[in-house]
Amino acid sequence: MSLVAMFRLEVRRLRVQPLAWVLLALSLAWLGWGFTRLLGDFLAGEIKRAALPDGPGYVDLVAVPLLGQLAQLAFLVVPLLAMSTLAGERRNGTLPLLFAAGVPASRIVLGKYFALLLWLLLWLLLTLAMPLSLAHATTPDWGKLAAATLGIALMLAALTALTVAASAFTPHPALAAVLGLLIGLALWTVNLGAQMAGLNGGAINWLAMSTHEQNLLRGLVSTTDILWFVLLIAVCLALAARRLAADRERG
Amino acid sequence: MTAAQAATPPVLQLEQVARRRAGRAAVQDLSLSLAPGQVLGLLGVNGAGKSTTLAMIAGALRPDSGSIHLNGDDFLEQPELARRLIGWLPERAPVWPELTVTEHLDAHARLRGLRGDALRGAREAIVERLELLPLARRLAGALSQGQRQRLGLACALLHRPALLVLDEPANALDPVQVGALRKLIREQATAGTAVILSTHVLVEVTAVCDRVAILHEGRLRHEGPVRADDHAALERRFFEIAMQARAA
Repeated sequence: MSLVAMFRLEVRRLRVQPLAWVLLALSLAWLGWGFTRLLGDFLAGEIKRAALPDGPGYVDLVAVPLLGQLAQLAFLVVPLLAMSTLAGERRNGTLPLLFAAGVPASRIVLGKYFALLLWLLLWLLLTLAMPLSLAHATTPDWGKLAAATLGIALMLAALTALTVAASAFTPHPALAAVLGLLIGLALWTVNLGAQMAGLNGGAINWLAMSTHEQNLLRGLVSTTDILWFVLLIAVCLALAARRLAADRERG
Repeated sequence: MTAAQAATPPVLQLEQVARRRAGRAAVQDLSLSLAPGQVLGLLGVNGAGKSTTLAMIAGALRPDSGSIHLNGDDFLEQPELARRLIGWLPERAPVWPELTVTEHLDAHARLRGLRGDALRGAREAIVERLELLPLARRLAGALSQGQRQRLGLACALLHRPALLVLDEPANALDPVQVGALRKLIREQATAGTAVILSTHVLVEVTAVCDRVAILHEGRLRHEGPVRADDHAALERRFFEIAMQARAA
């Protein structure tokens, strides 16, 4: 019950935050521009592709690259959106009110996390609506599109969990945003050195978010990749809940 | 204390409660009890441990040692008891600045488990009682400190708690509002709610409290009944404690 109450409280707060709407509007405008460019390129190359029997289609050349652009924006948008989640409560002095209402730390974290996910899901759906609006005129590879969408959804969920955890460890939202961005980028590029050295396997590659995300964007859905995201989300949320519970202990 | 109050089990029972904060003992060996309908005033100079004590009673802070029982149940084992039994107005009445007064009340009510008609009924009753209707659509971040204090009080009272915990409730209120606050506290006590309030203002205690507890450097130095005509005696006792401790 308290989880639903926390979720509703956070949704209501997000709904009236100008930053959330500004981020949504700016990022969708950017993605809309990206979509028209991708579509223009797709139409320009249509005659050449007609000669290739198994050439890339609408999903490969428009939908997935657009989702790739959303993934790039997510490194900036998610930390900015989620930075105040817990740091803001601490700054306002409202965190003790939640403890005093008998809401366990885990439900505070989960309620806020699910509210952020709802907003990000809306962002993802509005972005997907662009390529889907023309899907009736093409023959899309629905499986590949579904895998890529799952990959982006998991990535958004992981970046959100990272920033929520960062927000639990600092009273300053800006610091939480910087931490979320840096840790997210570090996780994405951790295997860059190994790849430049020609190593395409091993633990360092498994550790990198890019390894798992790129598989899903290519349409390859594997349990290992999904598990990697689920593990990261679980660890981040558990850390955030622990930190919050410790706040109550420490005062 | 009336005979009925003495016969009923305490709403609140603190035993040997201690808590360190910022490297020093903020509260030490504190034992207190409060029966339904009683109003206890917690007096003390700045840093005496009043806010720490109230935060522990409200469930916002865990004691390092000791026990707290609410209606006979172990509060430290069951922190969820706070949801329905306690209403807390912290010092400076923190708010979510982006929510309106109505949204605040709704959020607090939902966190306390109220839904549907019960929520609407409770909200309308408290808005009317605390005259919050003109502020209903205002953002909490745009309220004056006195208005925030009234909103905080409304949130604390919304779910009709058995124990009302008020930390400096008269802060930033004008004299008319202070009078209304005193009336409200007495009304709550008459309805059976136990009230514990902290203040620096001695006259506040003699005006509304049945009992007084004086804290100094985290320890309980005095506890006893209060009479409305007892102001001078209470003032003497308060300064004695403060001066003794300073001399020691």
